[in-house]
Amino acid sequence: MSALAKSDIDIATRGADQFIRLYYSAYDSKDRVESLPKFYRATSSLTWNGNPIQGLDGLKTLIEGMPSTKHDVQSFDCHPIPGTTPPSLLVTVSGNVVHGKQANDNPNATPVKGVDAQPRVFTQTFMLTPDPNAPGEEPMKPQVVYYVNADALRFVG
Amino acid sequence: MFSSPTPLERRGASRNLATTTLKSAGLIDRDERMRDANDKPGGRKGPSKKTGHRNRAMEMYKDAAAGSSRNALTLSFKMRLQFDISKLASRISTLVDPVSIRGAASRPTTIGRLRRSAIQTTTTRDSSSRMKAVDVWREFVHKRYNAEKRFLNLERIADDDILKKHNIIPPGVPGNTSSREMSVIFKLAASLKPEVQTISLANNNFSSGLYLSGLPHYLPNLSNLSLQNNGLKTWRDIEQFSPRRGKALNLREIVLIGNPIRDLEIKNGRKDFYRSEMTRRFPSLEVLDQEAVAKISFAVPLSTSSSVTMQPPLATAFSLPMAPSFITGVEGSIISNFLTRFFTLFDNQRTSLASAYLPTSTFSYSAVTSIPHRARAQRLHTSSALPNQRKLEWPPWLSNKAGGSRNLTRMGGVEQTINRLHIGGENIVKAMQALPATVHDVSGNPEKFCIDAWPVGLGETMLLFISVHGEFAEAPSMGVRSFDRSFILAPAPEGSTAKLDNWDVAILSDQLIVRAYSSYEAWAPGPLKVQSSGTESGPKILPPEMQAALRAIPEPKQTMVFAIIQRTGLNLKFAVECLEGNGWDVERAVANFESVKTDLTPDAFL
Repeated sequence: MSALAKSDIDIATRGADQFIRLYYSAYDSKDRVESLPKFYRATSSLTWNGNPIQGLDGLKTLIEGMPSTKHDVQSFDCHPIPGTTPPSLLVTVSGNVVHGKQANDNPNATPVKGVDAQPRVFTQTFMLTPDPNAPGEEPMKPQVVYYVNADALRFVG
Repeated sequence: MFSSPTPLERRGASRNLATTTLKSAGLIDRDERMRDANDKPGGRKGPSKKTGHRNRAMEMYKDAAAGSSRNALTLSFKMRLQFDISKLASRISTLVDPVSIRGAASRPTTIGRLRRSAIQTTTTRDSSSRMKAVDVWREFVHKRYNAEKRFLNLERIADDDILKKHNIIPPGVPGNTSSREMSVIFKLAASLKPEVQTISLANNNFSSGLYLSGLPHYLPNLSNLSLQNNGLKTWRDIEQFSPRRGKALNLREIVLIGNPIRDLEIKNGRKDFYRSEMTRRFPSLEVLDQEAVAKISFAVPLSTSSSVTMQPPLATAFSLPMAPSFITGVEGSIISNFLTRFFTLFDNQRTSLASAYLPTSTFSYSAVTSIPHRARAQRLHTSSALPNQRKLEWPPWLSNKAGGSRNLTRMGGVEQTINRLHIGGENIVKAMQALPATVHDVSGNPEKFCIDAWPVGLGETMLLFISVHGEFAEAPSMGVRSFDRSFILAPAPEGSTAKLDNWDVAILSDQLIVRAYSSYEAWAPGPLKVQSSGTESGPKILPPEMQAALRAIPEPKQTMVFAIIQRTGLNLKFAVECLEGNGWDVERAVANFESVKTDLTPDAFL
C-alpha cells in the first residue's frame, strides 16, 4: 500500500467534479428515468432516506415516483480510497434540493411561505468504483470507467 | 494508480471470497440479517418498527437488462419562451432602462446580458445596415462551415474577404474589443446542421477571454476548440468559457498552444501546474494541447437534451417515507461501538484517534456556511431555544494553520486540494486539532443522529460504508452545528496501530461536512411532503431589487407586469418579455404563458 500520489488526488478530484455535474444534470433532467440508472450497476447498493433500493429496477421505480428535482450543490469532497487499485473514490456531496417546484402538474400551487415550502438540504455519499467489465462504447480509450458502487442519500435539513 | 488499471476479478467470485474473509474477521453477520443499532448513537430505542422487506437487506439485483422503455412520446422542447425575441430587444429599451431590468433578474448573468447585447448589435442600427450585418455574418459562418467534418473554421477572421467587402470590423482587431460579434457568430453557429463539433479560432489576436464568453451558452455540446496563437493571458480569460458551477460542458479537447497563459507556464517549468489548472476548470477535458489528459470517466452518454426530451416527471408526491437509520450486513454493535468511541475521543482527546487510522488513510472536511432555507424559515439561528447560535463563527473552519475547508466547489487552486487532504494518522490528528473543540452528545437523545451503513465488496476486500448525520455543540460558545460524516472502514489489519489499540475496524477514509444548523427533525421517520404540494397560493413576493425595477416601469405597464407576475409566477424579466410578445394584452399573455409554461426553464420564474 503506497501513499497517494498528487496526480492521483488531482485525477480523483476532477473525476468527482465531472461526476457531480453529470449526475445531478441527469437527475434534474426530464429523461432521468433512463439516464440516472446508467451511473449504477446491478450490484450497486443504495439507500434513499433510509429505504434500501433493490437494484436498477428499484432505482427506476424510485425515480419514476419522484417529483421533478432541482439540485444545487453547495459542497463536495472526494478521496481516493487507500489500498484500492485503481482507486475507488469516496465522494460526499451536500446541497439544496427543490422537489416539484417547476413541474407543470401544479404550477398554481407554489406556496411562498412556511417551512414545508422551502428547499431541503440533502447529503449524498457515494462510493465510485472502476468497472472491470467497462462497457465497450469506446474501447480504445485508456480511461477507467467508473460507476456508483454504493450510494446513501438523506434529507438533512 | 489510475494509469495502471488492473482488471479486478470477476465480481461474484471475489465477493464470495471477501464475504468469507469478513465473516471470519467478525465484521459481517453470519446470518446476514439486519440488526438495528440498539444503543447509541442513532439507534432507536424500543421495539423495532422495521417491516419485513427491510429485513431482506439489499438483495442482489438479478439482471440489468430489463427492457429499456424509452418513452415514444417525445416533446419538442423549447428552452425559452417563444416570443419574438428580436422585436422584444428593441422594445425593451424603450420600455425601461435596460440596466434596471438586468438588475431585476433574480440572478443576472453574463449570458443574459450577452444574449441581449448580441441581439442589439443586429437590431439597434438603422434597418438597412441591420439586415446586412446579420446576413454578412450568416454568410461568413456558412462559408466557413464544413458540414461533413462538423468543423467550423473561424481562423483569421480579420482576413476574410466577405468582411472586408462589407467593411465590417471583426472582433480582435484594434478598435474593436466588443464581444458582441463573437456572440452573434456563436449564436449563428448554434443553428448549423449537423451540429458543430469542432471550432478553430486560431490566429485571431484575441487578447481577452471575453470574446469567448458566449460559447458555453450557445454551444454547450461543442467537443473540440482550438485557440492556438491568440493572446489569452490569465485564468480570468479562461474562466470566461469554462463551465459554471454545477453545469456540465462537453469540451473534450482544447488547444492553447501559442497563448501567453500556456507558453509562459511552460517556459517557467510549470507545465504540470498549467495542465492541472486547466483540467480543474474543464473536468470533461480529454486532450489538452494535443496531449492526452489522464482522467476517469463515467459510462453515461453525454447530454442530448437539446434534441430529444422526455415528458417531465409527473409525480407530485414521494413514493417512500423518511425511514429510520438503516444498518445492514454488519453487527450494529460494531457500528455503535466505533462511533461512540470515535466521537468521544474526537471531543476529548483528538490525538489518541491517530491509532484508528492507517499510514495511508485520508481525512478532510468541508464547511458549508449558508443558513439552510428551512432553518431560516424556522428562525433557528435566532431562536431563544438555541441562545448561542449568534456566537458561532466560520473563519476557524474555513482556514486554519493546518489548512482549512476542502469544499471542492470553492478551491483556489490545485495546491489547495492537495494540501487540505490529510494523509496518515499523525497528519490527520494534527488537522483535527486545528479545528474548534466539539461536543457530540453521543449518550443523549439518539434521534439527533442518523446512520446508514453496510458492507461493500471491493475485489477481495470488504469495506464498511458509513454515513452519519447529526449535530454537535462547538466550544466555547456552545452554539450548535449540523454535520455529516462519511467513513470507509476496514477490519483492523494484524499488526496495525488500530489492532494494537483495540479498534475492531481501521478508518481508511473520513470525510466531514460541517453545516449551519438544521433541526434533526429533517430525518424524523414519516411521510415526506413535496414543496409545491400545498394548495394555498398567496401573493407572490418580489425580491427588493425586482420591486425597484418594477417601480421604474411607467404606468399602466407597471400594473400589467405586476398582474402577470402574480398570475404566472414568472419573474420580472420574463413577465415583461411575455407582455411584449403579446402586444401588452394581459389575457393574451396569460394564454400564451399557459401554452408554453411546460417548456420554461426554472430561471423564468420567481
